[in-house]
Amino acid sequence: MGLIRFLALRLGKGILVLFAIAVLNFLLVRAAPGDPAQVMAGEAGAADAVFLEQLRERFGLDRPLPEQLWVYIKGYSTLDLGFSYRQQRPVAEVIFERLPATLLLTGAAFGLSLVLGVVLGALAARRVGRASDSAITVAALIFYATPLFWIALMSQVVFSLKLGWLPNVGYETIGANLTGAARALDIGRHLVLPAVTLGLFFTALYARMMRASMLEVAGADFVKTAHAKGLSPAVVTRRHMARNAILPVVTLAGVQAGQLVGGAVLTETVFAWPGIGRLMYEALVQRDYSVLLGVFFISSAMVILFNLVTDLLYRVVDPRIEGGA
Amino acid sequence: MPSLRIATAAAFVSLLALGSSAGWAQAPKRGGTVHAIVTPEPPMLMQGLSQTGPTNMVAGNIYESLLRFDEKLNPQPSLARSWEVTDGAKVYTFKLQPNVKWHDGKPFSAEDVVFTLDKFLREVHPRWRPIANAQVEKIEQLDAETVRITLKQPFGPLLFAMEVASAPIVPKHVYEGTDYKANPMNNTPIGTGPFKLKEWKRGSYIHLVRNEDYWIKDKPALDEVFWQIIPDAASRAVAYETGKVDVLTGGSVDIFDVPRLAQLPNTCVTTKGWEMFAPHAWITVNHRNGILGNKQFRQGLMHAIDREFGKDVVWNGYGKIPTGPISSKTKFYSDDVKKYDYDVKKARDLIKQSGYKGETIKFLALPYGETWTRWAEAVKQNFAEVGVNLEIVTTDVPGWVQKTSDWDFDLTFNFLYQLGDPAIGVSRSYVSSNIAKGNPFGNVGGYSNPEADKFFADAAVAATEAERQTLYTKVQQILAEDLPVLWLLEMDFPTIHRCNVKNLVTTAIGVNDGFRDAWKE
Amino acid sequence: MSGLARFARNRGALIGLVLLVLLIAVALLGPSLYPTSPWRLVGRPFMAPFAMDRFPLGTDTLGRDIAAGLVHGARVSLLIGLVSTLVSLMIGVPVGALAGYLGGVADDLLMRFTEFFQTIPSFALAIVIVAILQPSLTSIVIAIAIVSWPPVARLVRGEVMSLRSREYVLAAVTVGQSTPRIILTQVLPNTVAPIVVMGSLMVASAILLESSLSFLGLGDPNLMTWGYMVGAGRTRLLDAWWISFLPGLAIFLTVLALNLVGEGLNDALNPRLARGRD
Repeated sequence: MGLIRFLALRLGKGILVLFAIAVLNFLLVRAAPGDPAQVMAGEAGAADAVFLEQLRERFGLDRPLPEQLWVYIKGYSTLDLGFSYRQQRPVAEVIFERLPATLLLTGAAFGLSLVLGVVLGALAARRVGRASDSAITVAALIFYATPLFWIALMSQVVFSLKLGWLPNVGYETIGANLTGAARALDIGRHLVLPAVTLGLFFTALYARMMRASMLEVAGADFVKTAHAKGLSPAVVTRRHMARNAILPVVTLAGVQAGQLVGGAVLTETVFAWPGIGRLMYEALVQRDYSVLLGVFFISSAMVILFNLVTDLLYRVVDPRIEGGA
Repeated sequence: MPSLRIATAAAFVSLLALGSSAGWAQAPKRGGTVHAIVTPEPPMLMQGLSQTGPTNMVAGNIYESLLRFDEKLNPQPSLARSWEVTDGAKVYTFKLQPNVKWHDGKPFSAEDVVFTLDKFLREVHPRWRPIANAQVEKIEQLDAETVRITLKQPFGPLLFAMEVASAPIVPKHVYEGTDYKANPMNNTPIGTGPFKLKEWKRGSYIHLVRNEDYWIKDKPALDEVFWQIIPDAASRAVAYETGKVDVLTGGSVDIFDVPRLAQLPNTCVTTKGWEMFAPHAWITVNHRNGILGNKQFRQGLMHAIDREFGKDVVWNGYGKIPTGPISSKTKFYSDDVKKYDYDVKKARDLIKQSGYKGETIKFLALPYGETWTRWAEAVKQNFAEVGVNLEIVTTDVPGWVQKTSDWDFDLTFNFLYQLGDPAIGVSRSYVSSNIAKGNPFGNVGGYSNPEADKFFADAAVAATEAERQTLYTKVQQILAEDLPVLWLLEMDFPTIHRCNVKNLVTTAIGVNDGFRDAWKE
Repeated sequence: MSGLARFARNRGALIGLVLLVLLIAVALLGPSLYPTSPWRLVGRPFMAPFAMDRFPLGTDTLGRDIAAGLVHGARVSLLIGLVSTLVSLMIGVPVGALAGYLGGVADDLLMRFTEFFQTIPSFALAIVIVAILQPSLTSIVIAIAIVSWPPVARLVRGEVMSLRSREYVLAAVTVGQSTPRIILTQVLPNTVAPIVVMGSLMVASAILLESSLSFLGLGDPNLMTWGYMVGAGRTRLLDAWWISFLPGLAIFLTVLALNLVGEGLNDALNPRLARGRD
């Protein structure tokens, strides 16, 4: 199958899935009890029937549900994500000002975990059964098995409070007015704790997967042949085993990279990182429907995009694979 | 002719009395930045359109109202420099400050006040609307600096409604003739207050800067205020400890954390600045649901609750056990009422007499954080001791509001602000005329007692304070006997701040009145 | 070498198994060790472990016995892990088996359906489901199952596809057995090993997921779980570390045990992978 046709097919299917997800999300979100008018009334500590009616009329919530669904779908088909009445701004603006922070955080966490995971996993597989293998395996298990929010809080206590090395919350030093390299460095310092916290879990996952994958490849004929040809073990590991063992890791990582975009809710909450995971959670508890649906839509689109990229990568790494569904 | 007149000087005197001794000996120093916590992130800063707690906390720097109140709830000048009450407490005449400018440079005048009270807030404000419609005959401008409000009958609490969250004055030139709620200027609020909005980085901070043209010379002292948004309570505490923020506003850290934070160097804790709100916490009882309509059963429950434990352990010693519907901080409080001590035996007897047969009662938890959850768990155990089965039901804020306003609960927590006067903040929870679906802060339990209704109604419009006190004492006695709700705590929300931030809390609404008088040493 | 022997030779797997048996024993014996409710306010709040003999692991913010909480929490946490895993297997296995066996359009549709659930960020989806259904044991189990079944379906589909062309399956087709019968009697029994391995890991991640939901206040308010205990004690990490550390440790040990057992099973049932050890 040609690359163009493959891409067209995949994109077409992706758009269908996205559309179905958009409808499902709409129904799902509207099944939740309460509405944004009630939230605002609840927060105000004051309300009367007139106040709630005014708000509902503003939000268009007094219209029949099918009509609201139609307006929503119509908007999405022209890439109009709607309007957040709570923030009184277009949803696209609300989301896109938060997206860079999330991409930075998840990108850093993802890069860190993938590199570290693959290296550690390969190392453990080479020294299988020895102390360093056990050490890596145990460390991976510890980070895999400890609740993420617990690591997040502990790291704040240790590295911010006790040692004073790193800031515990936020995206940058507020009010510092830094520019250029100084600002980048400042953001980088703020990035360390959330990115490492989020990354460690996935590092553990990839390390274990890489190790298992390497061991599986170790028995394959082409590896035996390579050994038989008298190549040094290091060369066989690097050139023959790792290149093949990495494939399933890449697949998993592809799925997760997309998930990470919308999935860093806890990390963003604990570290006050101004990303869209937190936005999603806040929109949910405020029933800011249009924002919630917008975040779902954007992050689902990201997942589909990442899956596509993964498959393309696959075709590059392993040309034998035909780009099916 | 009864008349009440307060000169600008009075505000100064009370300010001195309130400020810490160190604070008053020194002249306020110009300059400096303060980082404070606001949580959760406010939906918007246009205070006339949004009355959420976080909005009020930040917007009190941007907007102003006619009056402020000291911690004894005495009115103080703000945009009104003096006022007079005449004609049998039916005519209120406000003299306004001269030389006040809006943040966009346009002059402020009586026209803005009339527009705000008569048009803008009457249309959009859920607390001002009922007062304006039921009590106010007319609002008029006498000259550029004078506004007169004429009432249909005397209404004792009118001045309390002039507090900034209840009646923020908005610019007529921005809003007249527009769709108020869709006005694009709502995102760049224009007020007369000591600070202007510079930038709002959503999810991170709100940046306010000094209003150079503020009408009080040499104020505010601070150059800028950053309101930081940090969603996790434990992270907020660490942010204070590491010096990222200077002010932890009331309720922004877990109450368990307060004693630990209070011991840090250069840290001051105050429970002042909540006198106007006097948050009163209770368990709302749905009188429509079976045994809950039985007075003996409710009295039994009240004896079963270890309210001291709730105060000392759950709320870490903050607050006071209430005796009835009116907080001891609010006017017209009386403790000459029936009291309920923690007495398991009495509770068991009353519950037995009431005919309770062990049916499960659902307790809708209040989704306002860990402390409330702990409290629900403690109450559940108290009830288990006397054989009453409670099942806790949780939900998020929208779910709670919906269930409460649709009367879909057996028991639930609630806490309401008293707002200085029982006619504004207390009667709404008990009078039969407020039994209506759709409002979680009305009489959602459905308690109805014509006698109490009448006392509440008469007390609101009685001409003298003494008459009002007599009527409110009676109504407190009736309610303490009937127990329409189970009062648990007069809540305190301690504000934690660096001691070198001076004059932070100077009024009955504390930081909600803005950082006008605050300065940094 | 038999699978059992391979498992027995794997030190990690054995440690995991011992841990797991202990945990299950605690969960089963819990009510007899601590017959009263773990929610009871039995002592002074914030008592450190070993400060008083009655409370070997100390008390929490309200003066509840942490040891009682841990023991009762073991039941609930393991139950949530187990039940939600079973539910997701009940969705994932049929979907995967049908897709893999039938192939063609059915496969395409079922996989699209699966993809659909994998596309919405899973934790976000779980939060929304619990929020909609209101937090309770049932809604939490449903939410965890809904976000965890797709990998099962993919795994089973892959296995079934490779089994479909085996001789004994073809033979069954030739003798005219019905499709459901072939799937149930010929194909699925041969996919049990990888499903068991995956299931053990899923129980672990379900326990983690429940703790994250509890952290956000979306736990069942009437059930004492480890996740609840960690969340409730986390603000006291600095001055009363044991309140959230001990349940955190319990979660860690359980997830560790399940992973060790899962990997041991994997190596034992799938000898190809274990070659490095031989």
